[in-house]
Amino acid sequence: MFPVRRTDPAHDKALTAALDRLTGGAPERVDNPDAWITTVRRLPALEARYAPFSEDLDARLCDILRQRGIDQLYTHQAAAIEHALAGRHVVVTTPTASGKTLCYNAPVLSTILRDPSARALYLFPTKALAQDQLAELHDQADLLSRCSASRGGDLEIGVFTYDGDTPQDARRAIRGRAHIVLSNADMVHSGILPHHPRWAKLFENLRYVVIDELHAYRGVFGSHLTNVLRRLRRICRHYGSTPTFVCSSATIANPRELAEALVEQPFELVSESGAPRGEKFFLFVNPPVVNAQLGIRRSYLAETRRLASEFLKRKLQTIVFAQSRLATEILTTYLKDDFGGRPGTDEQIRGYRGGYLPQRRREIEKGLREGTVRAVVSTNALELGIDIGALDVCVMAGYPGTIAATWQRAGRAGRRSGRSAAVLVASSAPLDQFIVRNPSYFFDASPEHALINPDNLHILVDHVKCAAFELPFTTSEEYGHHNLQEVLSVLEEGGFVHRAGGPTDSERAEGAQEDGVWQWTNESYPADAVSLRSISSDNFVVVDTTHGADVIGETSFNSGPSTLHEKAIYLVEAALYQVEKLDFEGRKAYVRQIDCDYYTDAITYTKVTVLDTFEGGGSCHGEVHVSSRVVGFKKIKFYTNENVGSGELDLPEQEMHTTAYWLTIPRAVMAALPYAADDRRDGVVGLSFAMRQVAQLLLMCDRHDIGISIGSGEQGEQTDLTRTGHPLTLSDEPRIFIYDNYPGGVGFSEPLFRMDEELRRRTRELIAGCECQHGCPTCVGPVGNTGPMAKSVALRILELLHTDAAAHALSA
Amino acid sequence: MTTLSDRLRGVIGPPKGGPYDSDPPRRDASAANLADVLDGQWHERNGQRFLVVDRTYVPGYRHGSMVLADGLPPTDGVWPRLSLLANRACGDRLVFVDLETTGIAGGAGTYAFLVGCGWFSGGTFRIRQFFLSSFTAERALLEAVADFAASAGTVVSYNGKSFDLPLIETRFALHRLPTPFGELPHIDMLHPARRMWRVQNTRRVAETSGRHVHKDVPYTCRLSTLERHLCGYERDGDVAGFEIPARYFRYVHAGDPRPLAAVFEHNRLDLLSLALVTARAAQLLEDGPAAARTAREALGMGRLYERGSLLVEAKACFARATDMNDGDEELRADALRAYALVARRLRHYDDAAAAWRRVLGLPLCPRPIEREASEALAVHLEHRRQDLSSARDFAMRLLDVDDSVPRRQAARYRLARLDRKLEFQSRQCLLTF
Repeated sequence: MFPVRRTDPAHDKALTAALDRLTGGAPERVDNPDAWITTVRRLPALEARYAPFSEDLDARLCDILRQRGIDQLYTHQAAAIEHALAGRHVVVTTPTASGKTLCYNAPVLSTILRDPSARALYLFPTKALAQDQLAELHDQADLLSRCSASRGGDLEIGVFTYDGDTPQDARRAIRGRAHIVLSNADMVHSGILPHHPRWAKLFENLRYVVIDELHAYRGVFGSHLTNVLRRLRRICRHYGSTPTFVCSSATIANPRELAEALVEQPFELVSESGAPRGEKFFLFVNPPVVNAQLGIRRSYLAETRRLASEFLKRKLQTIVFAQSRLATEILTTYLKDDFGGRPGTDEQIRGYRGGYLPQRRREIEKGLREGTVRAVVSTNALELGIDIGALDVCVMAGYPGTIAATWQRAGRAGRRSGRSAAVLVASSAPLDQFIVRNPSYFFDASPEHALINPDNLHILVDHVKCAAFELPFTTSEEYGHHNLQEVLSVLEEGGFVHRAGGPTDSERAEGAQEDGVWQWTNESYPADAVSLRSISSDNFVVVDTTHGADVIGETSFNSGPSTLHEKAIYLVEAALYQVEKLDFEGRKAYVRQIDCDYYTDAITYTKVTVLDTFEGGGSCHGEVHVSSRVVGFKKIKFYTNENVGSGELDLPEQEMHTTAYWLTIPRAVMAALPYAADDRRDGVVGLSFAMRQVAQLLLMCDRHDIGISIGSGEQGEQTDLTRTGHPLTLSDEPRIFIYDNYPGGVGFSEPLFRMDEELRRRTRELIAGCECQHGCPTCVGPVGNTGPMAKSVALRILELLHTDAAAHALSA
Repeated sequence: MTTLSDRLRGVIGPPKGGPYDSDPPRRDASAANLADVLDGQWHERNGQRFLVVDRTYVPGYRHGSMVLADGLPPTDGVWPRLSLLANRACGDRLVFVDLETTGIAGGAGTYAFLVGCGWFSGGTFRIRQFFLSSFTAERALLEAVADFAASAGTVVSYNGKSFDLPLIETRFALHRLPTPFGELPHIDMLHPARRMWRVQNTRRVAETSGRHVHKDVPYTCRLSTLERHLCGYERDGDVAGFEIPARYFRYVHAGDPRPLAAVFEHNRLDLLSLALVTARAAQLLEDGPAAARTAREALGMGRLYERGSLLVEAKACFARATDMNDGDEELRADALRAYALVARRLRHYDDAAAAWRRVLGLPLCPRPIEREASEALAVHLEHRRQDLSSARDFAMRLLDVDDSVPRRQAARYRLARLDRKLEFQSRQCLLTF
C-alpha cells in the first residue's frame, strides 16, 4: 500500500540493454507478424495526479498516513473514498500497484474510528489474498489503536481472517471482537450466513462490504456470488443494516455492469488512475516455424527460457508466468540449470503454484519483495494481488487467455517509476496466434466482458434453499427474477419448506394483508450441498490403489467420464496413474501408478437437440438439450504427440438442458460446395474447431465453459461416428452449436449471438491468416484429425455464408 | 414451452418419500387432538400457543435395576462432590436439559422443536417438555423456557457443550433474547461418562449411508448404552435418533401428531437416564476410590479427582486401576503413567519411579509412554539418585524411541552430560586409588 517509489538508473540501463539486444535497437517499429519479435510497443510514463485528504476522513487516520509518508491521495483514491464515505456503492478499476487497497481501507477505518460499533466484511477470491491483506490492516489498526491511546481513547480495532483455516476455538472470539472480517464468498455462503444469529453484532452494524478482485467473479462463480449477496443483503435487512459496497476490479470492459449485476444496486465507477506509471515496453514473440506444412513452431517453453535468460543475466528481477503446473515445473528446472546458485546458497530461482504449502509460498513472496529471489516461475497463482513488490520484467509463456489477465500479469512488472518490460511468448494454440497476428486487438480494443447469470434455475434454487434455511421467506417476499412463491411451492412438494399462516388466495382477493411464512422443514444444511465454484457439487474421487487406498484427487461430475474412464491416464504433479476401474454409481475411480510414455485423450460424442429458439435466423440462440457420451479414447505419446493407439468405451450418457448459440449452414450453401461429401464434412468440423477458439476469445471464458457440437439439431437422429467423435455423414443443413457447458446456462449464448458477425469475421481472419497449408492446431485443427481439405472448405463455407447473407440483405 | 413449475421440478427432482408417507395423512388431527395424543396442556403467551407436557416420577419409580430413590440427591441440596464433574462450583438447583431438533447440522434453520427439562423436587423427579407446535410460537416458547431456567443453578446435559446449548443459544440469539444458560455452570456428562464407562463398541458399523462411509468406532458412550450398563434398562420400541426430524416434519406437513408420542417418550427417557447417570457419578466420587468397580471406572474417577486437585484420592484411584485385572494393556499403561505423574506432583518420587519402571516392563508399552518413562527415569536417577550408569541406560533407551529431531538432540545432550559426569567420576575414583 505504501510502496517506496524511486528510480534506479542501473536497472533502467540494464533493461535498455536487454531490449536493444532483442529488438536490434529499434524500440518502436511497425508490427511484423512474420518476425521473431512481432510487436514492440512503448507505453509512456505517466505523472502522478494528486488530491488532498477529504475533510470527511478522520484526522487520526490522516495522521498515521502522513507518518507513513502519504501526504496526499491519488485522484482515484480520493474519488473512491468520497463515494464510499457518502454511502454510494463504488467500483474502482485501476492497474496493479496503484494503491487500490487505500480506496477501501480508508473509508472503513475512518468510519470505525468515528463509530467503534461499525463493522466491515471483506471478500477475497482466495484465502491467500485475505492473509496478505491481514498483515497490512493489522499494522494500520495497531498504529490507530496507539494513536487513539495517546489521545486518551482505548479503541482496539479488531481485524481477523475468517475462513476454512480458522481454528474452531478462535471463531467465537472473532465473532465478538472483529471490526473487520476478512473472508471469502465460500465461507460467507457456508459458514457465516447459515449461522447469522451468532454474527448478529456484525450484521446489525455492517457498514461496508468490500469485494476485492471483482473480475474474478464471472461465469458460474459470479452467478453464485450474486445469490450469496442477495442472501447477505436479506440478512442485513433483517438486522436493519444497509451496507455500502466498495469493489475493486482489474480492467475489464464492463466493471460497472458487472458490479451492478453482482450486487443488484447502482454503482459509481472510478476508472481514471491517478497513480504514476513508469515507462513500459511490451513485446510479442512468436517462435519461428520449423515445419511449415504441419504448422509446427519451435517450442514456446524453450523460447521463454531464452528470453528470460536475456533479462536474468543482466540481473533484472523477473517473473515468468506459465499456463500449467507442469509447464511451471519444467521452466523452473530450465532456469535453475542456467542460473541456480551454488549448492547451499539461497535459491535465487523459485517456482510458485497452487499445491505448495503456505509457508513455502510466504517465503518466496518475501524473497521477491526483498530481492533475494531473482526470478519466479508461476502459474496464475501470482496473477491476483498478492504483494510481491516491484519486479523489472514479466515474461508470459503462452497467452493467458484473456486481455484482462494479460494486463494483470504484465502489471507484475513495473511498479516502480523506472522502466519495465512485459514479454508475451505465443504458443501455437489458436488464441495465441490470433493475438500475435492481431496486436491491435490486444492493445486497442476494450478488454473482455465478464458475464454472469444469477437466475440460472439450478443456481437460484440452491440459494433459495439456503436462504429459506437462514430466515423463513414471507409469502409476499421476492428473490431474484423468477417468481419466488412458485419456487417455494415446488420446494414444498419436495418437503423442503412448509407454508404456515397467511391468507388463502380467496382471502387475499378480499384484501387480507397479513403475510404467512415459508419455514425450512428439512434436516439438511443446504449450504453444504452447494459449491460456489460449480453448478453441481457431485464429483468423482480418484483412489490410488498402488499401496492401499488413498484418495489422491477429485474431478467434477461432468468431466469424470472423459478423464477417468477405464485405461485413462491420470496425471498428478507429473506422476502417472492408470484408471483400472470406474465405479460410476459410487463416483469413484480406482487408479494404480504406472510408468508409460503416453497420455490419453477421450473422444466424446455430443448431440444437441433444439428445444426452443429464442431469436435469430441463420444464426440463433435458444434452449437446447445436450447429451454426451464418451465413446473411446486415443493414446498420445508425450513430447511428439503421436497417436499411438486407441480404444472403445461405453459409458453412461450425460444429459443437460442449457442454452446455445448455433449457426445453420443452409442447404444451398452446402450444395454449392464443389467438394466430396467427406471433405464437406471435414470443412464443417474444421470450421467448428476455429469458431470455438474465437468464441472463447470473445466471451472471455475458459476452455471448458463452452462446448461444441455438429448436427441437425433434430430429435432422434442417429449416425455413425468418425475417429474424432464427429458424425460420419452430415445432414443437408448442418448446424454448428456452441453451447454453454453448464446446466441451465450461465449466460454465454446470448452475447455470442449478439457478436455473431464478429465471430464469423474473426474466424475467417484466423483461418485465412494462418500460414499452414492444409490446417493445423492453430486454425481448423491438425490435419490428422480434420482431413486434408478442411481448411479450404471451411473458408469457402464462410465466404458463401457471407454472400448468402449479403444476398438476403439485398432482397430484404 | 414448459412452465416455470415444470422446469423447477426438473431441477429439484422428484420428492423423496419420507418414512411415514405411506400412512394416510390425517387432517383431522386438530389442536385439541394434539394435546390428547401427547397428554399435555396448552400454554399461551403474547397470543402464541405451545404445548407443555409435565410428568412426575415418584421415589419408587424403577428405571431398570435402579430405583429413583437411590438416585436422589441429599435433601439439603446437591451431592457435595458434584463440582468435580463441572470443574467449577455448582449451584444448588440442577436442571437436566435435552433437546429434540430438526437436524444435527446446527445453523439458523435447525430448530429445537422439543425442549425437555428435568429436575429433582422433594423426593420426586419431574420433567417439563416444551413443544413447538407451530413455528410462529418459537419466541413465546423460548421466553417460557427462559422463565423456567431463571431459577436454575446448574445445567446438566449429555453432549450439550457441543450440541444442545449452542443450538438453543442460536435460537435465543435469532429472537434477540438473552440466553438463560449462558453464565450457568454446565455439567456435560458425556465427558466424565466417557472416562469412566465407555465400552467396546459391539456394533461394528461399517454401513454406507449416502456417500459417507462410517468408520468403525472403537468405543461407544451413547446414553442408551450407558443406561443398559449402569441401570440395566432396556428400552422397548425406542425411536431411533435419525428418525426424529422426519416424525416432526410429518406433523408439520400433515398435522399428524401420533408418531411424535414416541419422540416425547424418548426425550423423557433420555432425561431420566441422564439424571440417574449423573447421580451415579456423583455418588461414586463421594464414596471414594474404593468404590470403583472396574479399572476403567477407577482411571476415570482418578482423572476427575486430579482435575479437582484431590491428588491423594486421584493417586489411590490410579493405583486401583493398575491393580484391577479387567483392564487391557493400554489402559494399564495409561493408569501407571497417570499414577507416576500424580505421585510426582505429590513429591512421592520413589512411587513415581516404581510406576515408570512397571510401565517399561509392560509387554506392549505404547511408544510415547515408553519415551516419557525413560526420560522421567533418566532424570530421576541422574538428579535424585545420582545413579549415573543406570541413568545412562535410560538415556540410551530414550535415544532409541525418540523420533523427532529436537528430542533426539536433547537426548544426545543428556547422554553427553552423563558421559562427562561418568568420566569425571571414574577419574575421581582413580585419584582416590
